[in-house]
Amino acid sequence: MSVIRAQQIKKTYNPKTIPVHALRGVDLNIEKGEFTAIVGPSGSGKTTLLNIIGGLDRPSDGSIEVGGRDISALSDNQLIDFRKKYIGFVFQAYNLIPVFTAKENIEFVMLLQKKSKAERDARVSELLSAVGMTDKIDKRPSELSGGQQQRVAVARALASKPTFILADEPTANLDSKSTSDLLDIMAKLNQDENVTFVFSTHDQRVIDRARRVITLDDGVIISDNIIN
Amino acid sequence: MSAIVIGVAATVFIMAFIAGQMQSFIANTIKNEISHIQIHHPEYKVEYDVSLTMSDIEEKLSDISKLENIQAVTSKTIANGIISSAKASRGIMIAGIDPEEEKKLTQMNQNVIEGEYLSAEKRNPILIGKRLADKLKVGVRKKLVLRFQDKDGEIIDAAFRIVGIFQTSRNNFDEGTVFVRQPDLNKLLNIEDAAHKVAILLQDEKGIAQNKEKLQRLSPGLLVETYEEISPEVRLFKSQIDISAKFIMTIIMLALFFGIINTMLMAVLERYRELGMLMSVGMNKVRVFSMIVLETFLIGLISAPLGMLVGYIAIQLTAKNGIDLSAYSEGMSEFGMSSIVYPALSSNAYMQVAVAVLITTILASVYPAYKAIKLKPVEAIRKI
Ligand SMILES: Nc1ncnc2c1ncn2[C@@H]1O[C@H](COP(=O)(O)OP(=O)(O)O)[C@@H](O)[C@H]1O
Ligand SMILES: [Mg+2]
Repeated sequence: MSVIRAQQIKKTYNPKTIPVHALRGVDLNIEKGEFTAIVGPSGSGKTTLLNIIGGLDRPSDGSIEVGGRDISALSDNQLIDFRKKYIGFVFQAYNLIPVFTAKENIEFVMLLQKKSKAERDARVSELLSAVGMTDKIDKRPSELSGGQQQRVAVARALASKPTFILADEPTANLDSKSTSDLLDIMAKLNQDENVTFVFSTHDQRVIDRARRVITLDDGVIISDNIIN
Repeated sequence: MSAIVIGVAATVFIMAFIAGQMQSFIANTIKNEISHIQIHHPEYKVEYDVSLTMSDIEEKLSDISKLENIQAVTSKTIANGIISSAKASRGIMIAGIDPEEEKKLTQMNQNVIEGEYLSAEKRNPILIGKRLADKLKVGVRKKLVLRFQDKDGEIIDAAFRIVGIFQTSRNNFDEGTVFVRQPDLNKLLNIEDAAHKVAILLQDEKGIAQNKEKLQRLSPGLLVETYEEISPEVRLFKSQIDISAKFIMTIIMLALFFGIINTMLMAVLERYRELGMLMSVGMNKVRVFSMIVLETFLIGLISAPLGMLVGYIAIQLTAKNGIDLSAYSEGMSEFGMSSIVYPALSSNAYMQVAVAVLITTILASVYPAYKAIKLKPVEAIRKI
């Protein structure tokens, strides 16, 4: 089953002044349980593509279906709701609210979904143990390393049991040890719990861990390889 | 946040300062000039004619003194005339007083700076103000001649000897009023057991309305007035002070308003990415908006009491000894304002400031909150 089906996605920034063609017709199908890297040099359109898939931005042209639903037809408020229910985000940085502890950062997504206290507590410990951060439950982001923060961010992204997780260069700010730790965790979640991951990167070590590599260049897909 | 605290403290303090000034003005007016309630012949205040007296004054005074809540009561005989020394003469008001009773009402004896207060012993003693004494170029024990009309319109000349010189904070009063004993003046005016004015000081100002009513019943046909009715200055001052306090409060609230907008706008910009992240993961606009409003409100909720506390402490510190404005207040004594201000603020006014601050904070939070929801998550995240 396709969780993402994009057809002829185009995105042009500043169409009226100095048009920038960030995406020039991208076709993309992502199946449940994929562990896919979107790679390409800086400026090739990775972030733009992830933002459109994630409902943070709208394509200038083309259609996009997520979980069988045409999201280009949704209003801004419906999009917010859609993101909340179906998509987990991990950004390059600033994923966490500085004044909240690890637990609270994860919990608050569930608060937005009005989950009960018991349910939240159970899920927080489940998630923190999945990312190997059980002992850091009451630490604030400033007390955590970059890699630890990203692991909490992954746990946060999983909190709402999303259809898939989008991660835009999640390891860009991490050293190689933290990068491989984070990828271990993501791969394990993918294998054990069939969590779908789509992440962008231009780091070869990350690319090597992906099971499918989609290469973008100047707004078009130039290669799409499934690795066994 | 500290701006709010300072703003609130300043508001509270300035309002206390103004209120203190008003209270001291009113208290001075009551104490030195008007007392709480006065009784006159109904036409006296229109004509100021010496013949418009109230009769049977002894009995009246003793009746009044038996009422509840009366601190002191006395009568005055008043004549307008001319006072002359060997060097100069001036128009003045001559007040015939009962020296002992007057002490209790206006504490006139405390204003004597040279010589002594009126006493029963000497013959035709007179008390004059320092400024008048300077104008007439006379001093204690010098003789003066008073000229005025008696109740039948006859011109009377009478010699008085200065026993004392007084000084108050009111220049006009010091220059234009002289004090003699009531019996001396009555005899010269050819009136007996009569007076032009009865002044009453109450124990508790709160009972003034009931007292006025009772006094009116005791004095049919006479004009009974409270100090507010008598003194247009007090009324004017009260409303004026009210207006300026509101004005100052408005200005400070406006400053606070823009200060908060500025602070919160900065806070929103600083957290652009955080807010973008929150909106990305599904926080909707209503929540973001209420979050900013609530945050601002909380800041107000913490800073307002803190500011009031600082203001309160400042008020308490200065209220003990007062703030001496004599260096800046050349003209103030002309209006019967004392040059030392004792800041004081009612709990009611504290409440007003608190409510104003909270309303201001909420209003000021709207714009930053609006800015926050206008933010597009994609753009906010791009800035990472
Ligand atoms: N908001 C924007 N306005 C104008 N141009 C943009 C904007 N965002 C991205 N671009 C441009 O679009 C192209 C693709 O950017 P992006 O998707 O960020 O690439 P990548 O993530 O692969 O580095 C770049 O040329 C970039 O400069
Ligand atoms: Mg990018």
